[in-house]
Amino acid sequence: MNNESNIIEIKNLKKGYDHGQTMALNGINLEIKKGEFVSLMGPSGSGKSTLLNMIGALDRADEGSIHVAGYNLMEKEDFSQFRSKEIGFIFQFHNLIPNLTVSENVQIPMLETDVADEEMVKRANKILESLNMGHRIDHLPTKLSGGERQRVAIGRALVNHPSIILADEPTGSLDSKTGDIILKILREIHQKENVTLILVTHEPYVAEMADRKINLMDGKIS
Amino acid sequence: MKFRSLLLKNITRNKTRSSLAILGIAIGVATILGLGLVTNDLAESTQNALTADAADFSVVYGTTGGGGGQGGAPGGGSSPGGQQLINETKVTEIQQISGVSKAVGVLRTNVDLNDTSNSTSSTTSSSTTSDSDGNMGQGGQGALQMMYSVIGIDSSDLSLDDIVITNGTAFSSENEVIIGEMAAGSLNKTIGDTITISNQTFTIVGIYETGNFQDDSGVVMSLDKLQNLTGNTGMVSLILVKASNGTDATSLAETIEDTYSNELTTSTSLSGMDRMNNGLEVIESASWAVTLLTLLIGSIVVVVTMVKSVVERTREIGVLKAVGWTSKRILTMIIGESVVLSLLAAIVGIVIGVGVVEIISMAQIIPGIQPAFSPILFLEAFLVAILLGIIGGIYPAYRASKLSPTEALRYE
Ligand SMILES: Nc1ncnc2c1ncn2[C@@H]1O[C@H](COP(=O)(O)OP(=O)(O)OP(=O)(O)O)[C@@H](O)[C@H]1O
Ligand SMILES: [Mg+2]
Repeated sequence: MNNESNIIEIKNLKKGYDHGQTMALNGINLEIKKGEFVSLMGPSGSGKSTLLNMIGALDRADEGSIHVAGYNLMEKEDFSQFRSKEIGFIFQFHNLIPNLTVSENVQIPMLETDVADEEMVKRANKILESLNMGHRIDHLPTKLSGGERQRVAIGRALVNHPSIILADEPTGSLDSKTGDIILKILREIHQKENVTLILVTHEPYVAEMADRKINLMDGKIS
Repeated sequence: MKFRSLLLKNITRNKTRSSLAILGIAIGVATILGLGLVTNDLAESTQNALTADAADFSVVYGTTGGGGGQGGAPGGGSSPGGQQLINETKVTEIQQISGVSKAVGVLRTNVDLNDTSNSTSSTTSSSTTSDSDGNMGQGGQGALQMMYSVIGIDSSDLSLDDIVITNGTAFSSENEVIIGEMAAGSLNKTIGDTITISNQTFTIVGIYETGNFQDDSGVVMSLDKLQNLTGNTGMVSLILVKASNGTDATSLAETIEDTYSNELTTSTSLSGMDRMNNGLEVIESASWAVTLLTLLIGSIVVVVTMVKSVVERTREIGVLKAVGWTSKRILTMIIGESVVLSLLAAIVGIVIGVGVVEIISMAQIIPGIQPAFSPILFLEAFLVAILLGIIGGIYPAYRASKLSPTEALRYE
């Protein structure tokens, strides 16, 4: 990497689907500094989720180069350890496991680490308390409101202390009031933990909160 | 949270589906276990009755052409009505025929041992019917009366008649007899007890088994003694013949029939041992077939259950990958779940299997079946279950682990 302070460096990144008929990413060049809060906007289908997936190594790009937190993500290897250590995903839908309690859902990412059993519980509950969910640790997700579920999902994303949080429309399924609470939480985390935050949103006023706004259009930054 | 508690929680998630799968596999395990219990028992009792040097065929009085060949097999069927005896000199003669390894004379008769005053029924040609049904009617002493076979044979030749001593020793004097397992049970006699036959008292020195119901309800004594007792000195009912190694028993039987065409006929039906062995082989291969079929069905149940469960959890598996789970852990989780499912099924299956076998043996639906419980059999049931879990889990687990995380997260 050229610049030590860049946690993400992407050059001419391309990703096509259906044998190149759809170019979800069509030459992305992007550098993001460690601890930066970047908002990602663009019309539906412009490639926002695809870009996030590339940064989180959920999928591999076809062309170009992408380095995240010191990992070359164009390598043909398994990046589960990278995801476990460096990335916290938050999705539009909470995607919690319905038969596990709130606390257990937050512990799931730690099963891939060597954290001891009791320590897992402690850490999960501590994070849940900081998210004002301490009174809900033993509840099943089905008993929670939408905003509460998303807070649990945030807890799950944070529990392994990632260096980057990738939030793909985290308020998309919430009413604006609840959404604002979630955004406030994310901004607080960003400030306190000095974590890099990339937030996909459709709301211009949300995008304004970020250090930097990026607009995507047809797989390119405009 | 422990990984294993996650497995358990995932199984209890869809209770109906898991219960049905458990029941399906459990029935399979129960079938395999039940078959094992029953065939083990059969094999055990047959093993006791295995006598490698049993006779190949028997020779009885009769002409080859008319109605011959219905003579009892060694250790086998009832003595034919109007039984004609054979002079013992024939035994010596047949022994001389080349290809005969051994020829042994046997005298058989039926007696009602419950009624001690009764004498042996006649074994001469003048006697009417001597099969048990006939005697019951004849005796007119009610249905409870039961006939027992009395067999006279030299104690050194017992194995030729498929007689295996399971307890005690063979008779060594004229006053000693051995008693069949069935007779011992129904007469409540054991070694050391005495028994009265034709007003003479004998000491029981051994208990034997032939694997043949009729012969097991009988008493065996020395040939000389039975000849004395029935007034048939020098006479036998049948001659047991064993062919020497390399001699074809069937052609040997034909040779004997040709030599004595107007006097003797042979019964080349299978010996008791062969019949039993054949039966056991059939049962064993049938039980193998059922076992394999059950394994096949069981693994299909596991595959179907787990594939459904994986498909249902597609998004969730995407999330697990997103939070850093390796493909290997996802593979382990799904196989683990199917193994836990199968182990639960094994427990249920053992309970069902043992229960059904116990009921069958208690209700005497199949007489003589005594379930042979052994730790190995239960271990086998568990191994079968683990195997089912792994085999049935491999494909769904592989599918889950190979899911593309982005595809999985887009799954509706
Ligand atoms: N797995 C896939 N297979 C085929 N096409 C895909 C796949 N993933 C994304 N695409 C296509 O790539 C393009 C970009 O999709 P992407 O999901 O990144 O858009 P987006 O900006 O996140 O849209 P939205 O705001 O609706 O979430 C779209 O045209 C989409 O149909
Ligand atoms: Mg999207």
